[in-house]
Amino acid sequence: MEKIVTVDAVKKTYGKGNQKKTEALKGISFEVEKGEFVGIMGASGSGKSTLLNLLATLDKPTEGQISINQDDVTKLSGNQLADFRSREIGFIFQDFNLLENLTAAENIAVPLSLQGVKAKEIHRRVSEVAQRLSIDGILNSYPAQISGGQKQRVAAARALITQPTILLGDEPTGALDSNSARDLLDTMEELNQKDQVSILLVTHDPFSASYCQRILFIKDGVIYQEVKRENQTREAFYRQILSVLGNLEQ
Amino acid sequence: MLLKLSLTGIKGRLRDYIVLFSGLVVASGIFYMFEGLATNTAFLESNSMVKSIVFIFHLGTVLLSIITFVYILYANSFLMTMRQKDYAMFMMLGAKGRKIAQLIFIETFVVGVSATIVGTLLGIGLSSIVQQLLVKQLAIKITHFTAVSSSAALFTLIFFTVIFLLAAFVNAMTIVKKPILTLLRAGETPMPANRKPFTLLLEVISGIAFLAIGYFMMSQVMTLAFFALITALITIVLGTYFVFHSILIFVLDLLKRRDSIALKKLNNFTLSQLSFRIQDYTRILSMVAMLFALALGAITVGLGFHNEIMKMTDATSTYDLVLNNGQEFTASDLKGLSTSSDVAYQQKEDQDTVYYDREQFNQTPFKTKVFTSNRQTKTVGFDGEKLASDVTASDQLRTLELPEQSAKKHQFVSNQEFAALPGKTTELRLITVKDFEKDRDALTKLANENFQKNPTLDKDMGGMSQKALVYELYNALFSGFEFMGFFLGIAFLTMLASCLMFKILSGAKSDIQRYSMLEKIGARQKLLKQSIRKEIGILFLVPGLLGVTHVLFGLQMFKTLLSDPYSNLWLPFLIFFVLYFVYYLLTVWIYTGIVMKREG
Repeated sequence: MEKIVTVDAVKKTYGKGNQKKTEALKGISFEVEKGEFVGIMGASGSGKSTLLNLLATLDKPTEGQISINQDDVTKLSGNQLADFRSREIGFIFQDFNLLENLTAAENIAVPLSLQGVKAKEIHRRVSEVAQRLSIDGILNSYPAQISGGQKQRVAAARALITQPTILLGDEPTGALDSNSARDLLDTMEELNQKDQVSILLVTHDPFSASYCQRILFIKDGVIYQEVKRENQTREAFYRQILSVLGNLEQ
Repeated sequence: MLLKLSLTGIKGRLRDYIVLFSGLVVASGIFYMFEGLATNTAFLESNSMVKSIVFIFHLGTVLLSIITFVYILYANSFLMTMRQKDYAMFMMLGAKGRKIAQLIFIETFVVGVSATIVGTLLGIGLSSIVQQLLVKQLAIKITHFTAVSSSAALFTLIFFTVIFLLAAFVNAMTIVKKPILTLLRAGETPMPANRKPFTLLLEVISGIAFLAIGYFMMSQVMTLAFFALITALITIVLGTYFVFHSILIFVLDLLKRRDSIALKKLNNFTLSQLSFRIQDYTRILSMVAMLFALALGAITVGLGFHNEIMKMTDATSTYDLVLNNGQEFTASDLKGLSTSSDVAYQQKEDQDTVYYDREQFNQTPFKTKVFTSNRQTKTVGFDGEKLASDVTASDQLRTLELPEQSAKKHQFVSNQEFAALPGKTTELRLITVKDFEKDRDALTKLANENFQKNPTLDKDMGGMSQKALVYELYNALFSGFEFMGFFLGIAFLTMLASCLMFKILSGAKSDIQRYSMLEKIGARQKLLKQSIRKEIGILFLVPGLLGVTHVLFGLQMFKTLLSDPYSNLWLPFLIFFVLYFVYYLLTVWIYTGIVMKREG
């Protein structure tokens, strides 16, 4: 299988010069293969947000390497980083992060405009992805006029429209009610299985995590344990996750 | 403890506070300078031919007070957007509402009053600098002008203290009355206003119509007088409002519909930001456009008066220097002049007649100015025959003669006859120079020597024949106008640009998230900065353009006062735009610093 994300001995230390130093990540290594649905779990302060920021290329590791689609992202800077993000990474955030003065369609189109795609092509791809996520009925609404679940679908459409190498989800169900959350997770699973979209999900919610194929548990800046779903039912995997979490907290 | 927290809060936002503080300092400084003039009745009356000038300045005070008040409200809301999350946090930590209100009150009041004191001192300093600069640069003659005025200082202090008391009270009340959650979530944008296309179109049409009526009325001020003025004022204010309330939104909408524009880079975002902003900014943008027109108009007309000085002088005098008994002036007396022509008409006189040599006038005709139909003058030449036959022509010559000569008859005789006449030959010497401005000091000196050598010349009457003295007269007359126009213009400009700046900046906080999100999805920093520059640029440009249009049409009204209000327009426009542009750059700089803080 093709490796699309390689994290190699990554350390991240906060605090400069004489300030007290905090080691958020103490040497983490793992890989994500094309078409995988990987979860990262951990308590608050475990370093999972730090890891996400590094993967999202919003921050740089103090030591170690991160490659996404064979590019060493730790070596990129400024414009290269911005272009890399718009090309290779799709984001879904907990608080949607939609631009509330643009309509849903316009929000979805922003990444393509940034890449200089022609208007005609933009329209075609927006309606394609909207249909895929069943939001074609609300394309001309503003974020304030639609529900949380719909907002997150719009955000997912915006993340997917560039056909990124990897979709990063930062607690994407965190602000949704349970029905909307289940809908979104079903959709993500379908995208993963049918369209081979690689997904990396950061969450502390065991239910969301149970949709993943593999979960990395992080504690105090290192990978504490790794579990795989394999042929288990989702309910069985969910219980396994709960028991690991139980051990994690002791 | 709370005071300490509050102080740390200020320290954390030192740059924003410095901007706010200096804005307030400039506002009070300008207010002081203006009051320094307005309360100085002696200065106003001695520098203006218009009786109502004191009234005009009182009107100016009222206008300036209103702008200052609005300005302080905006500056205050900027202060509040910076602080309200801190206050909400204090309240969450258990600080009592009353305590917070006290804190806000003290903070607003202390910042305001200390800014006013510094501003008044700055105003005194600026007054004397402006005075010296204007006096030197524009050769303006102003009298009774003092930089330090206790009544102006007192008025400024009282005015600002009252406004800050009010502002502090309003601030304290709003913070305490708002639920904590609203404060914590402050800065989220409201829903887009849904306007029916038909109403929008109706507003667009009526906006254009109002402006058209207003502009037409301003060109009719000569015939319709006050009716035109008042109609113009009302329709232009309405038209300006509609431009921002509908026309601009209409245009932005059209742009957004064009895929080739909207779907390029961040254009759609910038356009949407603008159309959301403008709904919220309608009133301030209309006010800015009107004040822009007033300020630019004041400077343009002020400088127009400056141009008038030389024009009026040129229109009255043909020759740059008139020397009676010119034979008494030697070549060395005239050494300092860059003479371009020097004519000496010889005179002989008896009891009741002054004789001239006709041939001399045929050789170099006597030149004088006559009025043409459209209040312009032109130079005409009279030769010996014309002078001999036409009394009005020779009367022109009379105005340059000594009083005892001009009372006598004139005879223009032939060369031989003139030579045969008995008596002493004197000369009426008429000189023009290549560069009047350059030689003005020398000309003034010679003109005064001419008075000394010819004591019968009445300085009050005869002064009108000496161009250098005519110049001084007009200079004194118009300088007051010029100074006031300049002063009013600069004062209004600073206030309106500051208002706009703080209004834009107080919206910056809510944009932080938008820009950080765009950055996350891969928008280059350069692109984000470009978007900011475009957005703020349009918010500055549109009221500016509208203001310029108002001025261009408005100058029609000054056709009665100024011979050509449109001449040398580039100078006031340039001064104005440079200042306005500095404000634009400052706004962009601070705004970028706020929304893209992570990099800063």
